[in-house]
Amino acid sequence: MNQSMWHASGSNALEVRELAVFFGLLLGAIFLVVIGIALLSLTRRHRGIQQEPLEGSHVPSFETESRLRIVVSVATALTVLILLGLTVVSVSVGRTVSASTAPPGSLPIEVTGAQWWWKIRYTNDDPRRIFATANEIHIPVGRPVAIRGGSDDVIHSFWVPSLQGKRDLIPGHTTVEWLQADKPGEYRGQCAEFCGLQHAHMAFWVVAETPDQFNAWFDHQLQPAAEPADDQTKRGQDIFLKSGCVLCHAIRGTNAGAQIGPDLTHFGGRKTIAAGTLPNTKGNLAGWIADPQNIKPGTHMATVPIQPAEMQPLIDYLESLK
Amino acid sequence: MTPVAERADVDVLRRTWGSKPGLIGWLSSTHHQQIGRRYICTAFIFLLIGGVEALLMRLQLAKPENTFLTAVRYNQIFTLHGTTMMFLFAVPVMEGMGIYLVPLMVGTRNVAFPRLNAFGYWMYLAGGLFLYGCAFFNMIPDAGWFAYPPLSGPQFSPGKGVDVWAQMITFTEISALCVAVELVVTILKMRAPGMSLNRMPMFCWSMLVQSFMIIFAMPAVMIASTVFLLNDRTLGTHFVNPAEGGDPLLYQHVFWFFGHPEVYIIFLPALGMVSSIVETFTRRKIFGYPALVLSLVGNGFIAFGLWVHHMFATGLPQIGEAYFTAASMMIAITSGVQIFCWLATLWSGRLKGTAAVHFVFGFIFIFVMGGMTGVMLASIPLDLQGHDTFFVVAHFHYVLIGGALFPLFGGFHYWFPKFTGRRMDEALGKLSFWILFIGFNVTFFPMHWLGMIGMPRRVYTYIAGRGWENANVIATVGAFVILIGGLVFIANALRSLSVGAKAGNDPWEASTLEWEAESPPAPYNFPNLPVVTSRTPLWTPESERAIVVGLREDRREILITNVLEAAPHHRSVQPRSSLWPMLTALGLAIGLAGSIFAFYWYYVASVLGMIGLIGWFWPERPIEVDP
Amino acid sequence: MSERRTLDVSGLPPYDISNKSPLFWGQVLMCLIEGSLLCMLIATYFYLRLGVDSWPGPGVQLPGLTFSTWALIPLIASCIGSYLASEAAKKNSRAGMLFGLGLNLALAVVFLVLRWIEWNSFNFTWESDAHGSIVWTILFLHSYDIVADVLMTVVLLIIVVSGKYGPRQRIGVHVDSVLWYFLVGIWIPLYGVIYWAPRLIGAGR
Ligand code: HEA
Ligand code: HEA
Ligand code: HEC
Ligand code: CUA
Ligand SMILES: [Cu+2]
Repeated sequence: MNQSMWHASGSNALEVRELAVFFGLLLGAIFLVVIGIALLSLTRRHRGIQQEPLEGSHVPSFETESRLRIVVSVATALTVLILLGLTVVSVSVGRTVSASTAPPGSLPIEVTGAQWWWKIRYTNDDPRRIFATANEIHIPVGRPVAIRGGSDDVIHSFWVPSLQGKRDLIPGHTTVEWLQADKPGEYRGQCAEFCGLQHAHMAFWVVAETPDQFNAWFDHQLQPAAEPADDQTKRGQDIFLKSGCVLCHAIRGTNAGAQIGPDLTHFGGRKTIAAGTLPNTKGNLAGWIADPQNIKPGTHMATVPIQPAEMQPLIDYLESLK
Repeated sequence: MTPVAERADVDVLRRTWGSKPGLIGWLSSTHHQQIGRRYICTAFIFLLIGGVEALLMRLQLAKPENTFLTAVRYNQIFTLHGTTMMFLFAVPVMEGMGIYLVPLMVGTRNVAFPRLNAFGYWMYLAGGLFLYGCAFFNMIPDAGWFAYPPLSGPQFSPGKGVDVWAQMITFTEISALCVAVELVVTILKMRAPGMSLNRMPMFCWSMLVQSFMIIFAMPAVMIASTVFLLNDRTLGTHFVNPAEGGDPLLYQHVFWFFGHPEVYIIFLPALGMVSSIVETFTRRKIFGYPALVLSLVGNGFIAFGLWVHHMFATGLPQIGEAYFTAASMMIAITSGVQIFCWLATLWSGRLKGTAAVHFVFGFIFIFVMGGMTGVMLASIPLDLQGHDTFFVVAHFHYVLIGGALFPLFGGFHYWFPKFTGRRMDEALGKLSFWILFIGFNVTFFPMHWLGMIGMPRRVYTYIAGRGWENANVIATVGAFVILIGGLVFIANALRSLSVGAKAGNDPWEASTLEWEAESPPAPYNFPNLPVVTSRTPLWTPESERAIVVGLREDRREILITNVLEAAPHHRSVQPRSSLWPMLTALGLAIGLAGSIFAFYWYYVASVLGMIGLIGWFWPERPIEVDP
Repeated sequence: MSERRTLDVSGLPPYDISNKSPLFWGQVLMCLIEGSLLCMLIATYFYLRLGVDSWPGPGVQLPGLTFSTWALIPLIASCIGSYLASEAAKKNSRAGMLFGLGLNLALAVVFLVLRWIEWNSFNFTWESDAHGSIVWTILFLHSYDIVADVLMTVVLLIIVVSGKYGPRQRIGVHVDSVLWYFLVGIWIPLYGVIYWAPRLIGAGR
C-alpha cells in the first residue's frame, strides 16, 4: 500500500500520522464515554424500559437536578479545554507540515495539472539544467522538495499520501507545498480534486532515490532522446515524426516539439502509461496508441491511425527512449 | 361585531378553514397541514430516488475497473445523488415538518403567509421536476454538488447540464426562503397568548434559528450558482475567469459561505425533533432548556464563520487557517452541550423505549462519531490528508444520516399519529431501526478506512491492487441492508395508514400543544386557541389553562401576539385559498427553465411572475370593510 | 365538558396597520434577504478588486459621477412620497394615499430615466472584464428591484383609485413604502462602492 497516510515515509506524513493517532485515540475515548453514559442511562434499575402505561410527567428531585447541572457544566468546560488543546496541537503541527513556503535548499519542481495527466518541470537557476517530463517525479531521499503547483485547465489536487497532504492546483494561482522522502521507494500519488471525466485515472509516481541515483537520473533526463540504435527503432522514429503524434508530443533531439501532450523524451524509462493507468509494457503501449479512448474514455489523446505494420517499430522506438 | 360564543362553532370553523373539494380545491389549498404533508411526501420520494442513485454508485464501486457504469454516467449520478439529497430531500423534508408542526406547536390556525407557503411548495416541486425532467433529455449535471468552476464553466462543461443544476438551485432556494420568512413570522408573531419566548418548544426554536440561517445563507448560493456560474456560462461575464480578472476561488468562498450553514440548516431541525422525543419519552421537562436554546443560537452564528474549512487544500494564509481551525472546533461545543443536556434528561427521566427513542439513541451513536471525524477534519494537517477522500464521505454521511435522518425517522414515528390519526407499528419500527442502524454502519464505517488508505472521492472506478477492494464490497453490501431497512420503514408507514391502532389526540401523553389538536388535526387546528401558562402546556392541568374566545369564525381570523411575551395585540384576517400561488410558481418556473437557453426568458419569468403577483394580491370580493 | 377559563379577544382591533402587523415583518425579512444578497455582491466587488493589478481593466473608464449623483436627488426625495402614502394608509385617507403613491411613482420614474441615460454612457459591458461584470450585476439587480417595486406601486395606485380596497390593501401601501425605504437606503452604500470606492482606493493594487 504505497498510497496511504499510514504507509508514511516522509517527515511530514509521519508527523501527520502521529497527529491522526493522537486525535483518533482521544476522540475515540470521548466517543466511548458518551456512548457508555447513554447506555447506562438505559440500564438503571429503577426504570424498566418497557413499562406500560406511561406514568404522567414527573419532576426530578432538586438534588438530582443540581447534581446533573454540575456534571454537565464540568463536561462542557472539559470540552472547551480539550478543543483548545486540539486546536493548539493541530496548528503547531500545521506550522511546519502544511507550510506554504519550503525550507531553504529544497529541490524546486513545477507540477502543472492537465486533464488528465501531470506536466512536470524541474526548474533551476541555470537554464541549461531545466527539463520537462510527465507523470513521474524522481526525488532524492532526505532532501526537501518544493512543489510549485499550477493548472492550465481545471482545478486538480496534488497528493502523495505517503509523503504529504494535498495541495490544489488552481488556474490563475500558484500553490506551494513541500515534501520529503526519508526512505527510498516508489510512492503513488493521485489527483484528489474532481476534474472531470477521467479524474479517476489521473495518478502519478514519486520515485525516491539515493542522491547518487537521483543525480544520475537527473543528468540523464537533461540529455535529448537517444538516437535510434537499430533500423527498427529508426523506422519507428520516422513513423512517429510522420504521423500525427508530433502535433501534441515533444521528443527532445527530434523536431517533435509540441507541448499539448506529455513529453516523451525519456518515456521508455517511466513506470506507467497515461498517468498511472497502465504499466508501461509494449503490449499496453500498443493498445494505448491503437485506441486511447478505449483505455481511458474521454482522454484528450487523439486516436491516430497507425498501420498494423507500423505499430511494432513505433512502440519499439518509444520504449527505447530510456 | 359578532357575539362572543363561549365554545367555538366547529362546523363554521371547518367551513371557513377547510379547502374546497376537487382538483381546484387541491391546487388552491393554502393550508399548512396540506402543504406540509406535500413537502414531506415529495421529499421522501426524492430520498428514494437519491437512494437508488446511491445504490448504483455502490454497485459500480463494488469491484475495481468495474464497467457497470461509464465514467460519464457515474459522474452524473453522484452529482444527482448529492444534489437530490441536499436540495430536494434534506432541506425540504425539514421545512415540511416545520410547516406542519410549528403552527400546531405555537397554537395558531395556519402559517403567517398561507399563499407564500403554497407558492414555496410549488417552486420546490417545479425545481425537482425541472432537474429530473431535463435528465430525460440527457441534460444532466456532472460537476458534483458544488460544481466548482472552471470545471463547471462554459469551456469544460459544454451542454446544458450545469445550467440545469444552477437554475434548479434557484427554484429550491426560493422555496426555502419562502418557508423561512413564513416560519419566522409565524413563530415570532402568532404564538398562543402566554407562550413567551422562554416557553417555546425546542423544535420551534430550532426552526426559528434554521430559518434565520436560511435567510442569510441562501442568497450566497444564489450568487454563486446564478450570478457567477450561470452568467459566466450564458452571458459571458468573467466572475470566475482568471483570464479576465475573475477568480475560481471566489466561487468557492461564496458557495461555502452558503454550503457550510446549509449543513446546519439540515441539522438544526433534527435537533429540535430529538428534544421533543426525549422530553416526551423521559416524562420530564427537558434538562437545560436555556443551555439548549443558547447552543442552537450559537450554532447558528458560528456556522457562518467556518466555511473555509472546506477549502484548506487551496492553501490559504496560515493565520487565516489557524482561525478557521479554531472556529471549526469550537462549533463542537454547541453540539456537545446539547448532547450533554439530552444525556442528563435521559439519565434523570423515566425512559420509555419506543421506536422513536431507538432512533434517538441511533442518532447519538452515529452523530457523535460523525462529529468526531468532523473535529479531525477541522485540523488542517489531518484535513490535507482526509480532504476529498472517502474519509470525508464517511464523515458527512455520519452527520447527515445520523444527525438528520435518524432524528427525522424518529420524529416520523413520533408524529405519525398526529399526521394520520393512527400509530405506526412499534415492533416493525424497531426492526427497521436495527436494520437501518446496522446497515448504515456497515456501509459507511469502512469508508473512513478507505479514505485513510488513499481512495479519493468521486472516482468512477479504481485500479486493482490498491487494497481498496474489500472495504468497498462491504460498503456495497451495507447499502443494500439500508435499502431493506428503508423498505421495512416504508412498509410499516403504509401499513399503519390503514391498520395502525387508532391514536387519539395524545397517544404519548406529550407536553406540547400539537397534541391537544385532534389526530389528524381539523383544518382549524384548535376549536379555541389555547392560552399557555408553562413550557409544557399539556402537563399543566386543564383547569389552569384558559382558552381564547372572541375570534370570528366566519372568516379566517387569527390572533397576532407580540414577540417577547406573546401578549395578544390584534386580530388579523388571512386571505382565502387561491390558485394564484400555483399559477405564479408555474409562470416563474417556465421563465426560469427557459433562462438556461436565453436571457430574455428572465423577462418572461418577470412578466408572468408579476401577473401572478397582481392576481395574488388583488383585493378579494367582498372587500373586508372597516367596522 | 368542563367549563374552562376563557380569554376574550373580541375587543382587540380586527386589523393593525403598523409595524406590528405580520405583513410588515414579512417585508422586513424580505429586505434582509435582499440585503444579504447585495452585501455579498459588495464583498465580491472588493474581492475581485484586490485580485487584479489594474481596476478597472485598461481602456475602461469608471462609471461617471454626473448622472448617478444627480439621480440621488429624486430617489431620496421619493421617500417622502412613500412616507406620506403610508401615513395616509394608517389614517385611511384615500386622497393622501393617491398623492403619496403618485409622488413616489413620479420621482422613481425620473430616477430610472436618469439611470437609463447614465447606462448608455458606459464604455464597458459585463463582458469586458471582472469589473464590468460586477458593476453591471449590482446595477441590474438593484434596478430590477426598483422596477418591481414601481410596478407594485402602480398596482396599488390603481386599487386605491378604484376605491375598492380594505385594510389589507392599506397595510399593503404601508409595507410597500417600507420596501421602498430599503431600496433607497441600500443604494447609498452601493453607490459609494461603485462610483467612489475605485476613485478613492485608486486603480493600482
Ligand atoms: C448535518 C450535517 C453536518 C454536520 C452536523 C457537520 C458537523 C461538523 N463538520 Fe462537517 N460536513 C458536512 C456535513 C456536516 N458536518 C458535509 C455535507 C461535508 C462535505 C461537503 C462536501 O465536501 O461534499 C462536511 C465537511 C466537513 C469538513 C471539510 C472536509 C473536507 O472537505 O476537507 C470539515 C472540516 O473541518 C467538517 C467539520 C465539521 C465539524 C467540526 C462539525 C461539528 O459540528 C461536529 C460537532 C459535534 C461533535 C464533536 C460531537 C458531539 C460533541 C461532543 C460529544 C462533545 C465532546 C467532543 C469533543 C471534546 C471533541 N465537515
Ligand atoms: C442527506 C444526504 C445524503 C444521504 C441520505 C445519502 C445517502 C447515501 N449515500 Fe450519499 N452523498 C451525499 C448525501 C447523502 N447521501 C452527498 C452530499 C454526497 C456528495 C456528492 C458529491 O460528491 O457531489 C454523497 C456522496 C456519496 C458517495 C460518494 C460518491 C463519490 O464520491 O464517488 C457515496 C458512495 O458510496 C454515497 C453513498 C450513499 C449511500 C449508500 C446512501 C444510503 O444511505 C442511501 C440509502 C437510501 C435508500 C437505499 C433509499 C431507501 C428509502 C428510505 C430509507 C426512505 C423511506 C421512504 C419513505 C418513508 C417514503 N453518497
Ligand atoms: C490530440 C493530441 C495527441 C495526439 C495527436 C497524440 N497524443 Fe499521445 N497523448 C496526448 C495526451 C493529452 C496524453 C495524456 C493522456 C492522458 O494521460 O490522459 C497523451 C499520452 C500519450 C502517451 C503516454 C505518456 C505518459 O507518460 O503516460 C504516449 C506514450 C503517447 N501519448 C504516444 C502518442 C503517439 C505514439 C501518438 C501518435 C500515434 C500520439 N501520442 C498522438 C495527446 C496526443
Ligand atoms: Cu485531476 Cu482530478
Ligand atoms: Cu463545513
